[in-house]
Amino acid sequence: MAILNGRVEKIALCASLVLGLAVASSNEAEAQALAGREIAIGAIVPSSGHFAEWGRTNTVTLKMLEKQINDAGGVNGAKLRITIMDDAARPAQSTNALRKLAGDDKVLAVAGPLTSSACEVVFPVANQIGIVSTSQASSKPGVAKANRPWAFRNTVDEQILAQTTVPYFKQTFGIKTVAIIYDAKDATAATVGTKIMPAILTANGIEVLNASDLLSFNTGDLDVSAQVTKLRSYNPDGVVVSADYSQAVTVIREMKRQGLVKPIVGATQLISSAILKAAPEMPIIAPATFYAGMETEAAKTFVSTLTPLLRKESNLPAEIEPSMYDANIYEIVSMYVDAAKNAGITAKPEDLEADRVKIRDYMAQLKNFKGLGGPVSFNADGDAVKLFYIVEGKNGVWTDKLHKCSDPNPAACGL
Amino acid sequence: MISTYHAALLADSGILMLGALSVYIILATGQLSLGNAGFMGIGAYLASYLTVEAGLPLTLALVLSALAAGMVGIVIGFPALRLRGIYLAMATLGFGEMVRSFFLNFEPMGGAGGFSGMVHVSVGYIWLWAGGILVLVTLLERSRLWLEIRATHDDETAASLVGLNTTATKIGAFGFGAAVAAVAGGLFAHHHVYIEPANFGFDRSIELVLAVILGGSTVAPGALVGAVLLVLLPETLRFLADWRLAAFGTLLVLVLLVRRQGILDRGLFRALTFRRQAS
Repeated sequence: MAILNGRVEKIALCASLVLGLAVASSNEAEAQALAGREIAIGAIVPSSGHFAEWGRTNTVTLKMLEKQINDAGGVNGAKLRITIMDDAARPAQSTNALRKLAGDDKVLAVAGPLTSSACEVVFPVANQIGIVSTSQASSKPGVAKANRPWAFRNTVDEQILAQTTVPYFKQTFGIKTVAIIYDAKDATAATVGTKIMPAILTANGIEVLNASDLLSFNTGDLDVSAQVTKLRSYNPDGVVVSADYSQAVTVIREMKRQGLVKPIVGATQLISSAILKAAPEMPIIAPATFYAGMETEAAKTFVSTLTPLLRKESNLPAEIEPSMYDANIYEIVSMYVDAAKNAGITAKPEDLEADRVKIRDYMAQLKNFKGLGGPVSFNADGDAVKLFYIVEGKNGVWTDKLHKCSDPNPAACGL
Repeated sequence: MISTYHAALLADSGILMLGALSVYIILATGQLSLGNAGFMGIGAYLASYLTVEAGLPLTLALVLSALAAGMVGIVIGFPALRLRGIYLAMATLGFGEMVRSFFLNFEPMGGAGGFSGMVHVSVGYIWLWAGGILVLVTLLERSRLWLEIRATHDDETAASLVGLNTTATKIGAFGFGAAVAAVAGGLFAHHHVYIEPANFGFDRSIELVLAVILGGSTVAPGALVGAVLLVLLPETLRFLADWRLAAFGTLLVLVLLVRRQGILDRGLFRALTFRRQAS
């Protein structure tokens, strides 16, 4: 019996060894399936022009991600190469960049472009070529929807965000009347300022005092005193500032100078650390899917690794912090890398078209991708389904006041 | 077979060249227009409306929008007669901004949200127009009419004293320039298949003038040289990364220091085309 027992044990041992080896080697095989190849990803960011700061921080973020992935053994053994192109936030240059990335650099997918104006011209070209293009910042309603199936945006439509932001703003500050000022030259800011905000404010029973005469200025204007004087004459309970933060800062400073200290509400474009310094005593309410100082583990690690790298760059402000768009582009390329690992991509030149289709389908069916602020997936319009936060900026910090899923079904965000 | 990237650059050059030609035609009479992006915008919006909403074929839409913009150009030409130099530049700049603001508030064509739905055109079609208009202007330069234009440019008073109708020349140039700009705009709209008012702002007007000044403001093909350079330089300087635009600016200043009249002038053009100076 003892002998028999010994035999059984031996057989069991052998069997488990063989099995273990087999499992190990299949893992090994998968981990090295793409060894010697290269996973080429493209990115279109505005490193010069109006949005240079965002383009430059995006560049640092992507270089960090490329290094992290390659140091950890690459993508199933393949080297990750991210080719970054500057479009100067000029739509014509963005489409040229996409064509170059797709045609000459043979990338599998593209992260970017940043602005909605650029997306409007790049997405149709992406569809024509058949390559995934995912914007890190565009939030003008319906831009990806009009360019399915290749266009995606890792952002939430401003319309959805405003539907939660406005009621919160009304409740918190007891707002009954507002006046609106917006940047007429910026497509997203103008859409939010002239269409989305007036409609949602009215629906929430807030009176827009200058509904027939919305105040505007142009990107780059340094003097908005006339507009702010007019704003003050309405004596509103709160002010809607629809502009990119760099422009909004000018408005907020002028408001402070003229003694118009009122709560401010706006869109995701306001989120930045710079805007908090313009008038720390004025509360700013805005939606965000990410902000530096966010509490999740992934976000903390991201911010603590990226911040020192950003501050080392000589062409960025000394106190810069990672922005929502850095988080978004980090997630986008991470999704592409996941697709390359799991969707059976070969990275062979002859399979380029098939690989691009695989990435597209992977993105469309993505479920519970581990984003920095929670799970991320895409809806039928190509826009991200993710958690968003209503944050209040006051005394130099953003604080999370409320969070909600961008999808009607909260389970989609893991809530 | 060229890559789609190079084809797109070629298309951009063609459109920019047409825009530059529109500035050149007006400049030939001694009037500097900083508002040609406005004419381009009119052409872009009108042509897009005609193809998308009215269902007209593109060529017909371009011709119609060129005619319409030409009329606007003539209307603008009248007040422009009373202005010279920097004052005219300022007035036309105002016109350009006026057009941009108009489309920004013009909801039927999308307002700030922009307008789309156009069908993409091939680079060949763009160059059919660009080449055709370039040849037309070059031929025009050999005509008696152009001599009148040059006389108006060189000395308006003397030209009118010898019996030339400088008023008609100047207004006609505005109309023709506006029509060419409108074609550029229409092609722009059907190349990018999306337009928004910001596409036709002050920067665009400056880009058009820059192409003429850089390429050569005394011969029509100067617009071609300027346009190709303005499209290709920022692309070929990509390896300089953050310094790209600074290097681009430096090159522009250098070119203008060395050749104030632009890269291509009458002398060089003659040498290149093996034509002897008429004695």
